[in-house]
Amino acid sequence: MTMLSHALFVLLLPLGSAAVIALFLRRAGAIASILSVVTATAIAAIAVILALHPERFEASMEWLRLGDFSVRLGVKYDDLAALMLCIVGIVGLCVQVFSLGYMHEDGAKARYFGGLSIFMFSMIGLTLADNLFMMFIFWELVGYSSYALIGHWHERASASDAAKKAFITNRVGDFGFLLGIILCYWANGTVNLTELGAGHVSSRLIPLLLFCGAVGKSAQLPLQVWLPDAMEGPTPVSALIHAATMVAAGIYMLCRINVLMVPDALTVIMWVGTATAVYAAFCALTQRDIKKVLAYSTLSQLGYMVAAFGLGSLAVDHHGHRLVIAAGVGAAMFHLTTHAFFKALLFLGSGSVIHGCHHEQDIFKMGGLRTRMPVTFWTFTIGVAAIIGLPFLAGFFSKDAILYLAYANNRAVFAVLALTAILTALYMTRLWRITFFGEPRSEAAAHAHEGGPTLTLPLVVLAVLAVVGGYRAHYPAGFEGVFSQVPEAEGTDHLVILLTSLFVLAVGAGTALAFYRPAATDALEDQAPGLYRWLAAKLWFDELYGYYIDKVQQRGAMLLNYLEQIFLAGVIIRGLAGLVGLVGLGARALHVGRLNVYVYWFLFGVVALWLFATGVF
Amino acid sequence: MITATLNEYLILSGVLFALGFLGVLLRRNTLVIFMSLELMLVASALALVAFSRYNHTLDGNVFVFFILTVAAAEVAVGLAIIVALFRQRRTIQVDELDSLKH
Repeated sequence: MTMLSHALFVLLLPLGSAAVIALFLRRAGAIASILSVVTATAIAAIAVILALHPERFEASMEWLRLGDFSVRLGVKYDDLAALMLCIVGIVGLCVQVFSLGYMHEDGAKARYFGGLSIFMFSMIGLTLADNLFMMFIFWELVGYSSYALIGHWHERASASDAAKKAFITNRVGDFGFLLGIILCYWANGTVNLTELGAGHVSSRLIPLLLFCGAVGKSAQLPLQVWLPDAMEGPTPVSALIHAATMVAAGIYMLCRINVLMVPDALTVIMWVGTATAVYAAFCALTQRDIKKVLAYSTLSQLGYMVAAFGLGSLAVDHHGHRLVIAAGVGAAMFHLTTHAFFKALLFLGSGSVIHGCHHEQDIFKMGGLRTRMPVTFWTFTIGVAAIIGLPFLAGFFSKDAILYLAYANNRAVFAVLALTAILTALYMTRLWRITFFGEPRSEAAAHAHEGGPTLTLPLVVLAVLAVVGGYRAHYPAGFEGVFSQVPEAEGTDHLVILLTSLFVLAVGAGTALAFYRPAATDALEDQAPGLYRWLAAKLWFDELYGYYIDKVQQRGAMLLNYLEQIFLAGVIIRGLAGLVGLVGLGARALHVGRLNVYVYWFLFGVVALWLFATGVF
Repeated sequence: MITATLNEYLILSGVLFALGFLGVLLRRNTLVIFMSLELMLVASALALVAFSRYNHTLDGNVFVFFILTVAAAEVAVGLAIIVALFRQRRTIQVDELDSLKH
């Protein structure tokens, strides 16, 4: 088999699995879950084989032709796609294995695993897409599968509401994305990524419109509202879709269209990412739900990646001559990689905790899980250490790369990102301390227990990846195209960055350790209720949108509906029907069923004809 | 001997036609309506014969032959319908034959 057929196989495999589950295995949850996991294993294996093979290729075929306009489907497999495919494959496998245990009792397992399969298909398609139209198709498909999986427990109103919110909020961003694609096609005559790379019209509007898609999918300000609510879905789904892969698709898409970027657009992207990073970090401080803390942490880290991308290129010294590298792509993708590992680990760890505590999600009702769930505790600890940037773990390296890039390009962003890092250390240590230490503060936590091997094994695998994920020199050579772009500090810059990251870590984690005790109430709420309430309000985004939709949009819609009822349905449609009815009523009155009357009409007709013939009228 | 002119024939024909038409309009018995219809037919035949004689041609007479032939057939069919109608409904009053409407 050629590598191209490998790529097509890895794309179509999960689609086949989803189709088989949907058509034949709807009642057979156990078989469906095994089929899905076997598929995921094959995907992960093929993804690694493809990445290790030195061949990189492109191929496409025409799918639709309308006059001069043609839509092509194709595969662009470069180092970037290879890296993303490996992340999707490996994290996907871990999550599916974890789901075997986590969803064991669920009544709709077939639907769940079918959803995961269709998600894998969509995500792989998005990864391999060689043009923006194809990317948009799979972009919408991941949105759909995310919708279906958030609403998996659709009998809960909050879950189905969250699913709708996620879908609709994403649609807002996707509209901009679609406009961007159309504009790109209009301006350049092509949406093929390679052809765009070879030459394109420089425009500020196109990259910004395309960025709208990333704002929706990667939950950046101001469309971040859906991601915390998406935690209504099953926890493995949150790990796979709303932490490791789908929300990272926005970053991946930005890296794909890197060639279209212009400095002004990059500045906007940088500030949006920076604002999201610090905003979400503040929000995470007051959350009580273990998954919500992780959700805001994800938002914050995604903001980091977007900011890293927006920081753009960097000129580096390379053996004596200056070399400009796409440092934004390198730093963003590097952080995406490590984040996928440690955030999936943290989410699966929280899933293990939730599973152990019988679906208790309030961290203030946990406590004492350190001894009761040792595997979860240790792997979760590694995850926390990785995200707060403890030296020699994955997050340390990727965060340093971003901080260095910010330091070199924009000091204001550097300061905000450093503040975000302090907050990250603060809220993650808070979460870790309150969840695992002290005495159990509820019946559920007191009887918590470790799940089976399907729950712990993925945690261990991801923990290993979270430890080693930062050593990019030891990655296979197949990712060189991405990792060679990662900025690396040298000399005094290196020292500054190292000291900064150690400083923010010490301040953040130290404050958390000193301030938060494993207790039934939030220390910040007790000591500074005003500040706590202000932070918990999350800048009133939800209220603002609620007000807008309820008071502005809904009333506009009512007005339009009123006009429609009066004019369109009332005057035009009912008016026409009434007119015809009136004519019918008159015509019906002539038809009385009596012969004599018809004869009179006949006479009338003859007289009329005669008058006409004689020229009276 | 009093010889009738064309005018008198045509007046007679018009009167007969008007009588027939009024019969059709005003009478309620299907059989009478039918007879009135025949009267109208005959009135027109009279006018044709009168024209034929006045013009010294045979055209009108030939027409009348055909009309009488067709009328004989028509009467046979029409009477048969009336008989069938009577058997079915036990009436031939047009007021009561309104099932097309009601």
